[in-house]
Amino acid sequence: MNSRRHFLTGAGAITGAVAAASVSRVAMAALPEPVIQDQPDTAPPLAPPNGRPYDPVVTLNGWTLPWRMNAGVKEFHLVAEPVVREMAPGFKAHLWGYNGQSPGPTIEVVEGDRVRIFVTNKLPEHTTIHWHGQRLPNGMDGVVGLTQKPIPPGKTFVYEFTARRPGTFMYHPHADEMVQMAMGMMGFWVTHPKGRHPLIEPVDRDFVFLMSSFDIEPGSYTPKVMTMLDFNLFTFNSRIFPGIASMNVRKGDRVRIRAGNLTMTNHPLHLHGHEFTVTGTDGGPTPPAARWPEVTTDVAVGQMRQLEFVADEEGDWAFHCHKSHHTMNAMGHGVPTMIGVDHRKVVKEITDLIPDYMVMGERGMSDMAEMEMPLPDNTAPMMAGQGPFGSLEMGGMFTVLKVRREQPPGDYRNPDWYKHPAGTVAWEFTGSLPASPRAPAAGNGAAPPHRPAGKQDVEVRVRKPGAANPHGGHDH
Amino acid sequence: MPIPSLRITALAAAALLAGCATVDIDQAVGQTNETAAGFTQGRLELSRTAQQQERRERLAQQLLAEPLGQAEAVQLALANSPALQALVAQGWSDLATAAQGGRIANPVFSFERVRSGSELEIGRLLSFGLLDLLTLPQRASLARNQSAQAQLQLTRDVVDQVSQMRQAWVRAVAAQQQLDYAGQVNRSAQASAELARRMQAAGNFSKLQRARQQAFHADATAQLATAQHAATAAREELVRRLGLSDAQAAQLRLPDRLPELPAQPRTPAEVSAAAVDQRLDVRMARLQLDAAGRSQGLDLLTALVDTEVGIRRDTQFDNADGSRRTARGWEADIRLPLFDWGGARRAAMDAQSLAAAHRHDDTVRAASSQLREGYSAYRTAWDRARHYRDEIVPLRKTISEENVLRYNGMLIGVFELLADHREQVGAVVAAIDAQQAFWLADAALSASLIGQPLAAAPATPLRSAATGEAAAH
Repeated sequence: MNSRRHFLTGAGAITGAVAAASVSRVAMAALPEPVIQDQPDTAPPLAPPNGRPYDPVVTLNGWTLPWRMNAGVKEFHLVAEPVVREMAPGFKAHLWGYNGQSPGPTIEVVEGDRVRIFVTNKLPEHTTIHWHGQRLPNGMDGVVGLTQKPIPPGKTFVYEFTARRPGTFMYHPHADEMVQMAMGMMGFWVTHPKGRHPLIEPVDRDFVFLMSSFDIEPGSYTPKVMTMLDFNLFTFNSRIFPGIASMNVRKGDRVRIRAGNLTMTNHPLHLHGHEFTVTGTDGGPTPPAARWPEVTTDVAVGQMRQLEFVADEEGDWAFHCHKSHHTMNAMGHGVPTMIGVDHRKVVKEITDLIPDYMVMGERGMSDMAEMEMPLPDNTAPMMAGQGPFGSLEMGGMFTVLKVRREQPPGDYRNPDWYKHPAGTVAWEFTGSLPASPRAPAAGNGAAPPHRPAGKQDVEVRVRKPGAANPHGGHDH
Repeated sequence: MPIPSLRITALAAAALLAGCATVDIDQAVGQTNETAAGFTQGRLELSRTAQQQERRERLAQQLLAEPLGQAEAVQLALANSPALQALVAQGWSDLATAAQGGRIANPVFSFERVRSGSELEIGRLLSFGLLDLLTLPQRASLARNQSAQAQLQLTRDVVDQVSQMRQAWVRAVAAQQQLDYAGQVNRSAQASAELARRMQAAGNFSKLQRARQQAFHADATAQLATAQHAATAAREELVRRLGLSDAQAAQLRLPDRLPELPAQPRTPAEVSAAAVDQRLDVRMARLQLDAAGRSQGLDLLTALVDTEVGIRRDTQFDNADGSRRTARGWEADIRLPLFDWGGARRAAMDAQSLAAAHRHDDTVRAASSQLREGYSAYRTAWDRARHYRDEIVPLRKTISEENVLRYNGMLIGVFELLADHREQVGAVVAAIDAQQAFWLADAALSASLIGQPLAAAPATPLRSAATGEAAAH
């Protein structure tokens, strides 16, 4: 349950964190009550109860932070603290985040808003927050040592500035940031335009998420903070498929997806069934002349992209990072390729010694998704997720855009799987096959390949299922 | 063919001692059985008759029909081992020899026939060692002492044999277990090698990757051969200790595994030095000390004061006149201590007594120390074996199970899984070593308690266990 309703009522009994002994109650009394979220579900959009009006966003598997108006200033309260984030059902990570979750709540303001953010540090070490992409006084930029003192554990600091520029932003620590970002400290920030903006079109659905990566040893809970590149979990908002919510829209909706990249590598985000344009970056809205249609856009490290399209094709459309390892969960990158290797007889030997052994990989890795075998505690399978046609064989940065004619406007509920009109699903061909043309020999037309004297051609054997010997014809 | 020759020895010993009614070997063996009840379970006997022989053979057959446990192995050795029979026969001989010292020498009858011209003189002398007679009580007591020593020696020899047989049994069973596990490692390595061969054939492995897996297998094969011989050697050692014939050796079956550790180790109180007085080695030293003291005066006396008395009857015949005269009388011999008043001899005896006294003290002191060391070896071996059983092996098992889960999740590959299995087997092998060390120490402590110490079993690990790698590859 989302507990933001407690915020303005000041009802008090808000999930645990308020009572932290390390923060002075007297100091806290003057602050806006922090709002804590204890669920990783996608919260419905938060319509602004006061201040300038705007069209709210929906944070994928997240929520928007409520505020308090104080003499015309929007006051937010972020609490940096250890959290338990459910990354997928049955798999929980011990992270650091804000207000009960990682990533922290999305902050939504309007261009020109005076914003005051109280940041209470309940981490075991000092922190700061950097407001990535904002125009603000230098002393509010949140770089420890350079523009401010660190926020010690148990203390609350105040950041105050005017949100000058409409656009898509994020926030993250700039103190021990390698560790703190590896632990999941980050959040989204949207500054809505004040009134009509020539480069910012109103949309019907506005989804936001951050991309982050973690290195969590299967069977453990805490990310390895020293990892530089070898992450094993790639997430949208610290959720991995099948834990990520789908993006549910009405047919014909104008849809905006804003994504920020706080991982250590780029992510080519790819949408099926539609073309989109990149209408904005963290530098602001892109000029119309700079926009061109795409189905994949690369989001580099530390960047934000804002994709827009009209969802005019009904169905369940995949939306994912096109790096195929990033649509897998934890896996062993040192596991040898077993494709085409006949295990017969050896299997008997191995199962005599290791009774729970099962052959996998002989025909590829989809075995993995099909067989539900016991895994180490607190480990999401490498690929999972059941769709209407079976296993999706996916993990990590993968979700589904669900476009439905009957989805009510403003309704974000998950419709079930798409019901395909008859004759619109790929079907099995049962007729007789014509002879298929073969590629001509190498070297056709272009310069002939160089062949060193004495070197024999390496015979390349292509294995195809269904042949008399399915294992490539090597003798045993 | 040891059996017939030993049988002859036994029979010869029996014949030699047949006239000696006072040495009862069955009683002596009974006493040994009683003293070493923990070892013989009262079942040792010297077999002299066809029925006894037959009974022994029948018992051996019965015991060999089932896998031979440790207690059964002791019974079998007692019933079957010619070496033990020889030991008992030898003990009989020693007992008899010792008893001999307590008897009076037989009287000497000398007969003279001297012809001088027409005279013929016939002299008859019946003489006794007077000193023999006088010192009889002392000598009888000495002989008893020596009999007791021979008795103790017999017991010690039996205990020693049985203890060594027990250790041989432990080694033989453990070696067989190790062989089983070496076989497992080998099979795991073989599976890796075969899979690697197929991987290379399918183009998924380089020559180097395949060679690595092949090398594991080659190593494992060498280790299996070593384990095979070790098992054979340990078994044959046991066969010799049990004194099995070829046919019996072929029948011999051993249990699959060593006995479980006892739930509780023996307590220090059970093994306290209070029992030191009853130890065989201490009793032996005390007997030797007594004997030294008791024989001191006696030996000096017999060396210096050799006396004999005799009754003489001489008859003279004179063929010339056909007359005859008879003379009767007695004679006494006495050695005159003119040149040797026994000083040197007395000094030697004093020295020997002193030596015996110090040997006794030394034995008593060493006995306590040996017990403490033996107990430490025993206790350490128990603790280690339990640590392996309750900590290391379960941990290894957990690692194995977790690795299977990681294999399931495609987090590790089958080669890692097989390599891990080899490591786990290494830990089990080390655990068996620890269990073997315990049972060896147990046998050693039992022997030490009764007073026939064996070399203590090593308390140090035979191989590195915690890592397992060394053992695994």
